[in-house]
Amino acid sequence: MLFGFPSETASAFAGIRILAALTSKEFGSYMSGTMRNLFRGAFAAVAVLAVAVAPAAGQTAAYKAPRTADGKPDLNGIWQALGTAYWDVEGHAARPGAVVALGATGAVPGGLGVVEGGEIPYQPWAAAKKKENAKNWLTADPEIKCFMPGVPRATYMPFPFQIVQTPKSILMTYEFANASRVIYMDRPDFESPVDTWMGHARGRWEGETLVVDVTSFNDQTWFDRAGNFHSDALHVVERYTALSPAALRYDVTIEDAKVFTRPWKMSMPLYRRLDKNVQLLEFKCVEFVEELMYGPLRKKPSQ
Amino acid sequence: MNHRFPAAVIAVLSLAAPAAGQVTTKRTWTPPRTSWGEPDLQGIWDFATITPLERPSELAGKDVLTEQEATEREEQATQRRVDRPPKPGDTGSYNQFWFDAGTKVIATKRTSLVVDPPEGRIPPLTPEARKRGEARVALPPHPATGPEDLNLATRCILGFNAGPPMAPGAYNNNVQLFQAPGYVALLNEMVNDARIIPLDGRPHLPQNIRQWRGDSRGRWEGPTLVVDTTNFRDETNFRESSRNLHVVERFTRVDADTLLYQFTVDDPTTWTRPWSAAVPMRKTEGPIFEYACHEGNYGMFNILTGARAEEKAAAEAAQKGTR
Amino acid sequence: MRTKLILGAVIAVVSLATAPAAGQATAAAGKASAAKRAGTPPRTPWGQPDLQGIWDFATITPLERPKELAGKEVLTAEEAAEFEQRTLQQRNPDRRDGGSQADVGRAYNQFWWDYGSKVVGTKRTSLVVDPPDGRVPPLTPEAQKRADARTAVRQGPPRGPEDRNLWERCILGGNAGPPMAPGPYNNNVQIFQTPGNVVILNEMINDARVVPLDGRPHVPPHIRQWRGDSRGRWEGNTLVVDTTNFGDEPNFRGATAKLHVIERFTRVNADTLLYEFKVEDPATWTRPWSAAVPMTKTEGPMFEYACHEGNYGMFNMLAGARAGEKAAAEAAKAGPK
Repeated sequence: MLFGFPSETASAFAGIRILAALTSKEFGSYMSGTMRNLFRGAFAAVAVLAVAVAPAAGQTAAYKAPRTADGKPDLNGIWQALGTAYWDVEGHAARPGAVVALGATGAVPGGLGVVEGGEIPYQPWAAAKKKENAKNWLTADPEIKCFMPGVPRATYMPFPFQIVQTPKSILMTYEFANASRVIYMDRPDFESPVDTWMGHARGRWEGETLVVDVTSFNDQTWFDRAGNFHSDALHVVERYTALSPAALRYDVTIEDAKVFTRPWKMSMPLYRRLDKNVQLLEFKCVEFVEELMYGPLRKKPSQ
Repeated sequence: MNHRFPAAVIAVLSLAAPAAGQVTTKRTWTPPRTSWGEPDLQGIWDFATITPLERPSELAGKDVLTEQEATEREEQATQRRVDRPPKPGDTGSYNQFWFDAGTKVIATKRTSLVVDPPEGRIPPLTPEARKRGEARVALPPHPATGPEDLNLATRCILGFNAGPPMAPGAYNNNVQLFQAPGYVALLNEMVNDARIIPLDGRPHLPQNIRQWRGDSRGRWEGPTLVVDTTNFRDETNFRESSRNLHVVERFTRVDADTLLYQFTVDDPTTWTRPWSAAVPMRKTEGPIFEYACHEGNYGMFNILTGARAEEKAAAEAAQKGTR
Repeated sequence: MRTKLILGAVIAVVSLATAPAAGQATAAAGKASAAKRAGTPPRTPWGQPDLQGIWDFATITPLERPKELAGKEVLTAEEAAEFEQRTLQQRNPDRRDGGSQADVGRAYNQFWWDYGSKVVGTKRTSLVVDPPDGRVPPLTPEAQKRADARTAVRQGPPRGPEDRNLWERCILGGNAGPPMAPGPYNNNVQIFQTPGNVVILNEMINDARVVPLDGRPHVPPHIRQWRGDSRGRWEGNTLVVDTTNFGDEPNFRGATAKLHVIERFTRVNADTLLYEFKVEDPATWTRPWSAAVPMTKTEGPMFEYACHEGNYGMFNMLAGARAGEKAAAEAAKAGPK
């Protein structure tokens, strides 16, 4: 190697410092599993990073959002994720699409992923199931059928969503499928009597951060178009923190003892839609999937 | 075009509501305000009622029920709502468990939700609209040749009572109202439809952008939230309406537990004149539940499958007959 | 654009610069001395060596030393002139002395080619500087097998686009790299710099490679790209670019996903950017090897190369192959009658 630095100790040490640096720079999510391969040394790079890191650490605390009348960070607005998490929350290279006729428009753009540590910790059976889901994407993905996308998937679909913030409840309404959910800020003990697609959400403020605890999911929704999935034991904790007037940081912890070996996290920025006169428009996709879902049950002209 | 709620009606309602003796009404009541100074209309509101939209013909000429008449009607409604075995040949469907159409007449005891025209009936259709309706009726019977033959509620595209305008229906007569500076949001329990209404005076969407639920813009007129909705699709079809439908809704909190909801609809290609209705909504604890209509639309599958099966059976029978 | 190799000072500097680079072990020392000799290169306002501009790497010096020049590292001025003349004559496609078959092979006439008219300023007989014999090291047995299989496929009529090479498919430019190696035309590259990134824009297929300089690691091993994943850093006046994460089929001499490319860009004088690369792939070559290509400043501009958008060639090759099969099948059917 031209710049080899093979000592295990040095690598591990470098890894820790680099990871710290990268986390603060928002591309730490793809690091840990790959550390050894990636950084067979690169001592110079470590030194550079170590210098760069210190001031960057804890940058999320630096910004203080404007306040609502009741003194809470004001997250009202229309937001949207960028990136390719909606295709695959894990890191992935670009790949061809499943529908030949769509050509380049149907192909999957690459992305470095939003999962902390790079990979979702599936139990072995679940890893197999995920592969199966991916293989059967066109028939198995609930998004294709215009079903409510669940949480957190709704947040990072390629559609805007709007936060309407009130002291007692926060409405999050999503353009995709016109799905909505209410986050109860004033009913911490309110348990949902039924399972749902969009979850049962209870929120609280932790300093600058809106923390939303989401339970009572059914097992019908996915995390992305790559077949990443969960069971009805899913428990999601979302954290929304303003980074600037035009951006939020969205951190999610996923817990599902039936499917994963441990809780895991995703993180990504959400951007305010600044378009003049932006508003959520209808995306009532039922109409667009009726042929797909019910077409075979249509009366044929000959009948 | 008169988009404003007829002055006479407002007078009637604002007098009628308290006069009709709503229990909690106090003339001195001051509506609460949001911290940024708007009238606070927030909460979950229940608009279930047994008062019909149009005055029944047997009540022609009668604007308001007496206390006794109201009680009788409520009792009759309750008696009607018991499960009975379906008629022979009818598989039966939703039993009473599923319905939630209310048990009370509205507090004003008016005999119709329609307040204008004064006779409490929706004005006649224009000749053009009548023709549209007749053409539909004249179509040869085609039981569910495809999903489009079924109505928008069955297709889970629109909730049948979610509007705009909202009109009481068989169940899910709940709407939650949220306010943030610059916006009002209306979340209907029926099909979880959230309508986000900007209050910043921006114009409506361009004419070529049409939506099932139109495009809503709001403003405050004193204590009243006024919501103006245009840009509908032809297919939205609110009681035969066309894309020219124009809905003006007015939300006024008349006491702690009552949100007076009034609407005027206007579509010169559908009705011979605009008409208006008033629905007092009652505060409720809720919560509003998720209504996953499309996600669980087994009905659509079964209706279409049944239609195909019947056709197949008929074709086979015909073939046997000719043999 | 044609090569306008500036002789004189350039040659002297380049020959000094390349010589030490030939032995990778002494590369650092070589760079230092090269920089010293070249004086101080211009700097960007934020203090990095300024490599920006359009650089022309067309040359008729071959990547590998021709067999007939074995043992001869450098040409004399006379030999160089003779070599240039002979090569240009051989390559001239506007000749009509080979019959119709040869004419078809020369479909692109001289107008379309732009591989330069000069040997490199050092007058080295190969771009390869290591191994010292100027030849790419032997393929490993497994690589040889892959090469044979590829050749067999390429010789037949294409069953589908995948049977043709990546360049013909307009997926990668034949000379755009990494690593860049002179080809028959579009041997131009433009370099842009910002404090945190260098961008290497090749005229061939308009491929822009954005190289971050902030020390971030390569993307995870399972993320593979046609052109790999590049990371850069400064070593004195030299930009070093390290590229890994290639896909299974990098566009470089039959290499595999294990390909590792290290490129070094050093401005040795106002008009010369010395480009050196070292490639390593244990699944392909029996040892790593290196080459050096002095690039010459040119005015440009670079033009859009809409390869895929005008790829009538692919359509016609496939249509031709299918027509040939159909004709053969019909002939076979007609035969037994």
